[in-house]
Amino acid sequence: MTPTRRGILGLGAAALAAPFLAGRAGAAAPPPVEILMRGNADGSQVWFDPVGILVRPGQAVRWVNRDPGNSHTATAYHPANLDHPLRIPAAAAPWNSDYLLPDEDFSVALTVEGTYDYFCVPHEHAGMVGRIVVGHPGAAPPGGTAALPEEAARAFPAVEEILRRGIVRRA
Amino acid sequence: MLFRFAVAAGLAALAMPALAADQVEKAPPAGSYKKVSELVKLPDFLPGLGQLYVDPKTLPAGPFLAYDRDGRLVSTVYMLPIEDLSNKDKRFDDLAAPGGRVDHVDVYFNAGHPGVEKPHAHVILWHVSKTDEGRVAK
Repeated sequence: MTPTRRGILGLGAAALAAPFLAGRAGAAAPPPVEILMRGNADGSQVWFDPVGILVRPGQAVRWVNRDPGNSHTATAYHPANLDHPLRIPAAAAPWNSDYLLPDEDFSVALTVEGTYDYFCVPHEHAGMVGRIVVGHPGAAPPGGTAALPEEAARAFPAVEEILRRGIVRRA
Repeated sequence: MLFRFAVAAGLAALAMPALAADQVEKAPPAGSYKKVSELVKLPDFLPGLGQLYVDPKTLPAGPFLAYDRDGRLVSTVYMLPIEDLSNKDKRFDDLAAPGGRVDHVDVYFNAGHPGVEKPHAHVILWHVSKTDEGRVAK
């Protein structure tokens, strides 16, 4: 995984990272995908859009906060992040965007194949989580979702649905 | 005459700190209130609420004092975690209510935000009319 700079520099960093990745792969890097952080007017609902997405190894993922009344994070499920369970490939490095204010963004390039689950720090208990499949999904994280807040465990789209549809938006 | 003046001046001097301590009608409020956006990473102006101030010692319940873009007080907000509301051993007693007259009250669910991360209820004492809520709508 190749983290890039957060905030206003995020898009530029993602653009800069693309030729680097292309050089390593020997082919043009796939374009970055965008995941929006959203919320409704009274803050009663918050979500990632899309909630599930299939990307190619090395493809950059960019989160943008489009919720005018809240701050959000994109944080990998990993013991390094607030002692959360490991729910990304063991060989992948964790990321944490820190709080993004409205219109700020954060990018990472995911190079290790597998399934990556992530959450929003202040909204995990409200079910604001997402799932990214990079190439082949690999094995499911051990322990299932038992250690997660109930709302979070319920919100992940199925890997099979992500593989079938490519992009999964919340119901 | 001189005595009366001295007494009046003394009373005024005593009253001024008290008035200053109570000043909440215009932002920034006096006392221990801090701007929420300087305490945690949140937008300075929250659509639907306005610009918030809180005494950090009172978190998470508050009161939060909410102001429009002209710095006029529009509401007093309490943020009460859902898990506390369903805990029979937990109470929120004697919450301060410095904003004065209340026109109407809204109560609704909020998924959380920096400062009050867990899902909670917003209890809003509006000091302005329903129509004037628009002053903080956007």
